[in-house]
Amino acid sequence: MDVKGKNFTRFLKRQQVYEKQHDSKSLGKQHAKGKLTAWERIEILFDEETFEEVDAFVSPDRTDTGFGKVQQVYGDGVIIGHGLIRGRLTFAYAQDFTVMGGSLGSVHAAKIMKIQDMALKMGAPMIGLIDSGGARIQEGVASLAGYAGIFYRNVQSSGVIPQISVILGPAAGGAVYSPSITDFVFMTNHTSYMFVTGPNVVKEVLNEDVSLNDLGGADVHSKKSGVAHLVYEDEENTLMGVRQMLSYLPSNNMENPPEMELSEDETLDVEEKLRAVVPDDPNKPYDVKDVIKLIVDKRSFYEISENYAQNVVIGLGRLDGKVIGIVANQPKVLAGTLDINSSNKGARFIRFCDAFNIPLLILEDVPGFLPGIDQEHNGIIRHGAKMLYAFADATVPRITMILRKSYGGAYCVMNSKNLGGDFNFAWPTAEIAVMGPEGAVAILYRKELADADDPVAMKKELAAKYRTEIANPYIADERGFIDEVIDPAETRLKLVRAFEALETKFIDNPSRKHGNIPL
Amino acid sequence: MKIKSLLIANRGEIAIRIIRTARKMGIRSYVIKTIKEPNAWYLEEADEIIDFSESFDDNLPEFLDIDRIISSAKEHKVEAIHPGYGFLAENPDFARRCEEERIIFIGPSHDAIYRMGHKTIAKELARKHNVPLLGGSPGSVANAEEARKIAHKIGYPIILKAAAGGGGRGMRVVEKEKDIERMFTLATNEAEKAFNNPDVFLERFVREPRHIEFQILGDQHGNLVHLGERECSIQRKHQKLLEESPSPALDKKLRKKMGDAAIDIAKSVDYYSAGTVEFLLDEDNSFSFMEMNTRIQVEHPVTEMVTGIDLIEQMILIAEGKKLAFTQEDIKLNGWAIEWRINAEDVQSGFSPSLGTIEKISWPENEHIRVDTGVRDGSVITPYYDSMIAKLIVHAETREKALQQSSMAIRKFWIKGTKTTLAFCRAVLQNSNFRKGKFNTSFISKELKLTYHAEPDEAMLAAFFATYDYARGVQQFEEKPLQLEKSKVIAPWVLKKRLR
Amino acid sequence: MAREAKNKQTIKLIALSTTNKAYEFKKPLEKIIKYQGKPVDIRLHEDPNGFSYIVWKNKKYMLDVIEKNQNRYTIMINSVWHSFTVETPISLKRRRFLEEQGDSSSSVVIEAPMPGKIIDILVEEGSEIKEGEPIIILEAMKMQNEITSHVTGVVKSVEVKKNDLVMKDDVLIEIQKT
Repeated sequence: MDVKGKNFTRFLKRQQVYEKQHDSKSLGKQHAKGKLTAWERIEILFDEETFEEVDAFVSPDRTDTGFGKVQQVYGDGVIIGHGLIRGRLTFAYAQDFTVMGGSLGSVHAAKIMKIQDMALKMGAPMIGLIDSGGARIQEGVASLAGYAGIFYRNVQSSGVIPQISVILGPAAGGAVYSPSITDFVFMTNHTSYMFVTGPNVVKEVLNEDVSLNDLGGADVHSKKSGVAHLVYEDEENTLMGVRQMLSYLPSNNMENPPEMELSEDETLDVEEKLRAVVPDDPNKPYDVKDVIKLIVDKRSFYEISENYAQNVVIGLGRLDGKVIGIVANQPKVLAGTLDINSSNKGARFIRFCDAFNIPLLILEDVPGFLPGIDQEHNGIIRHGAKMLYAFADATVPRITMILRKSYGGAYCVMNSKNLGGDFNFAWPTAEIAVMGPEGAVAILYRKELADADDPVAMKKELAAKYRTEIANPYIADERGFIDEVIDPAETRLKLVRAFEALETKFIDNPSRKHGNIPL
Repeated sequence: MKIKSLLIANRGEIAIRIIRTARKMGIRSYVIKTIKEPNAWYLEEADEIIDFSESFDDNLPEFLDIDRIISSAKEHKVEAIHPGYGFLAENPDFARRCEEERIIFIGPSHDAIYRMGHKTIAKELARKHNVPLLGGSPGSVANAEEARKIAHKIGYPIILKAAAGGGGRGMRVVEKEKDIERMFTLATNEAEKAFNNPDVFLERFVREPRHIEFQILGDQHGNLVHLGERECSIQRKHQKLLEESPSPALDKKLRKKMGDAAIDIAKSVDYYSAGTVEFLLDEDNSFSFMEMNTRIQVEHPVTEMVTGIDLIEQMILIAEGKKLAFTQEDIKLNGWAIEWRINAEDVQSGFSPSLGTIEKISWPENEHIRVDTGVRDGSVITPYYDSMIAKLIVHAETREKALQQSSMAIRKFWIKGTKTTLAFCRAVLQNSNFRKGKFNTSFISKELKLTYHAEPDEAMLAAFFATYDYARGVQQFEEKPLQLEKSKVIAPWVLKKRLR
Repeated sequence: MAREAKNKQTIKLIALSTTNKAYEFKKPLEKIIKYQGKPVDIRLHEDPNGFSYIVWKNKKYMLDVIEKNQNRYTIMINSVWHSFTVETPISLKRRRFLEEQGDSSSSVVIEAPMPGKIIDILVEEGSEIKEGEPIIILEAMKMQNEITSHVTGVVKSVEVKKNDLVMKDDVLIEIQKT
């Protein structure tokens, strides 16, 4: 082909127009708001020079609905394509706020659906970089239909390929439901918002003033609603965080998660520090994250939903180079009790791990369910059951390590042996019983305590006796509910061997369309 | 009689300090294990452990549980108890109980503890023996009106102090007459809360005095000597942060005068064992008696360094009934000693406690340096006890040399795991007036602009390290290759999931 | 896969101190840095289980990372701590932009996360507190729970006393954000 010929000149001209669209003007507009442009985001997210754009030149729907003109630009405000992230094929779309506020028109939606279809077909992760004002009002119902189409594909892809939504600007109205279906939602502090009804509607309907940030900022969604799983201070770190997350995930549900070589300083030697983490005083809190960090490969723990329902800690990590999902009670917060929020947080993560072939490690120190009227009235029965269901339904290898308390119903829920837990281990500090010493004594010796001269002293004495005789791991061990009581310092080695032993695990669950998890 | 076994009703560095001397003297040492510090170092140093950790009362700390300590001592047939400092050290009831139960209390008589512990009684004794006192109320003040009258007579500013108090709690300075009512209420409330006794007394307030104390030793045969003074003016909210001996403010003459006064005070209660008499020293070298501490002090090592006398050993010998082996003339002050208290505190945000684990601790060792500490690698700083990590004691021929050695030692004193007052020590050492010996109790509030000192390059080096670590973190995770081959080998549970 | 992945590179990183002083370092970070126009050798000795130190102009400086959260760092050097955020040129620009916008400073209340008894109050009115700092010890279910502040600021008011019994969502402390 003649590079100076007519055909090629036209090709070049089109390229020039396209490039002009992404010139310094739009760059400046985004930067002035403390945000990056769609292209800059793509460049940070993907390995250098690996991204290939698809549908760069499609243009918005020209149908005039009578509500003003649609800006005619190439691409219709969204970049779609594929590239490599740490060498692995990944699909993505990135909305461009500088084009009609990133609003979703029918063509814009069609592009997203196209790339979603490709990701599902290829069995590769799908990432959405969201920065959009919402539905394009000018296009009316066509734009709404677009949303529905995206949701449908999100659901079809769920549990088949990992889907991640990165909120980098506004996500309002219907737009929020796509992220909420995907596996993980990332947000950037200060510049991203999510809400179903915005501050203006709240003002109109309820006459309440609320700022964008207070209504649906990253802070709200990471701490209160739990919608956002990961929050970073700036966009670069957010996108780097997505890369990090993907390094733990398989490309699809027919693969295993990628392994990683161990660092030179990694060993399976005894870790004395583990013996000292759990305090001798059974009522003293400690940070279960200290335990996690000592068990998994160095610097490999990647916590998810860190600031939401902190009484349960969830995250991904590597053990001897292999990815595991960790669910741990956090004695530091709410004494490690289970409540509605933590059950939801745990249950969804367990199901995610099961869907993507990530074995589970459960670190247990739970005194029970959080008592309270609001908990009962808001349905702790139903929500608590989710965690139980998720564990029992999971076919991936799952191992429980009882660090300290394991009382009552919470014992059953936390992947107990009879719930299908593959291995249940306990540390010598474990206390396994129907309830804690103080409570048990109060019931068992109600009469004796009422008659006692010094009920406080007697209760204390009985509680101490109960603790040594009943609330320990040895009874459970002798009856087979615990596979082994182990030296905390050897936890790492024990777990590596146990997970190795489970590599060929096979469970024949009954065939069904799907179970009916109590939602 | 010779003591053969000794229970230490204390913890931390002072427990270890006492164990060392006990070992030297061939005495078997017993310590108490608590649930709060089940892995503390002092437990390993002792010969025997008495375990209080199995059962405990949340409302009565172990080291304050007189009944339990006494009965444990009897059960283990321990002959003597050393209370250390704090806790039961100045509790006359405890000393009396020991006596009643025929356990040797290593300290003064319960009567001396009681009388010196009650500030108004102590003042009365001082007055009788012509020891100079600050003007003030003869006893505790009944109400704000009475306080106003007395204050009017002696002139403002005045200070209100808890009669049963110490350690800065229940103290209020009143600058002007109009404030006295409010401050009186505050002081009594605080005293009530802290010591279960709302009584306060009133004193003239010396604005910028030095805090000088004299170490006293006396035997049970009426012999009393002083071992020179300690300079304790560097204080923050009445908490001492460093001490030295001798004081740059005293000459021979003044030392003799104050030393004699200290001995007079001790004599007034037939004092025996080790004790400390505290004075305020004004700019014009006039001094007045503050109080007497009837125990071993935290800062006793500086006196040990300059006199060469082991104070714990002396306390034990005195308790055994031995006579002092030296007279006042035998006591020579040799060189200069400074003690730097290294606490787990964040001096960059208002000396707030900094809890955590001492991951690692080390210091330089040479003939000038002594370190008394109760922690080692892995020790935990708990919120239950004071925040002291260690005492760095430097001894040299002159003050200047001692300061030089201090600079070196503080620079090489490395602690990992918690924020410490080392940063404060550096700031003090930088101060030219401190180096010249010109300072008083207002040093920290007036003279020290910053309570920590950093060299100019340090911030840059810290910035470099942060950046380096960050860049490496990103790189490390980015560079380590993912092993993708194995991902394609599907485990059986994966297949099953698909079939379902 | 035919296409080859390359490493990501940012040209320089900036450590921004709490006093807004910026320290710029060129990437890749080597142990030789330019200081006052001249390249100077920094020798870094790291020991995760022991002491790490930098040798700079023939002096040893003991250092330790005492806090690290994403790009926020607190480094202890010779017993004094310094806090930084590590920024890239773009994130620094963003930070400056957000500062100009002025983060609406307001007060925040800290509520009891569960019913219980106040065991200890670790702050008083006017105390400056940092995010993550413990402010109250609340005993519930026989466990002592540290309630920590989720903002940095000054304590505006303390609404509870020691030994008070509180219900869930009772206001414990109000903090003026700074």
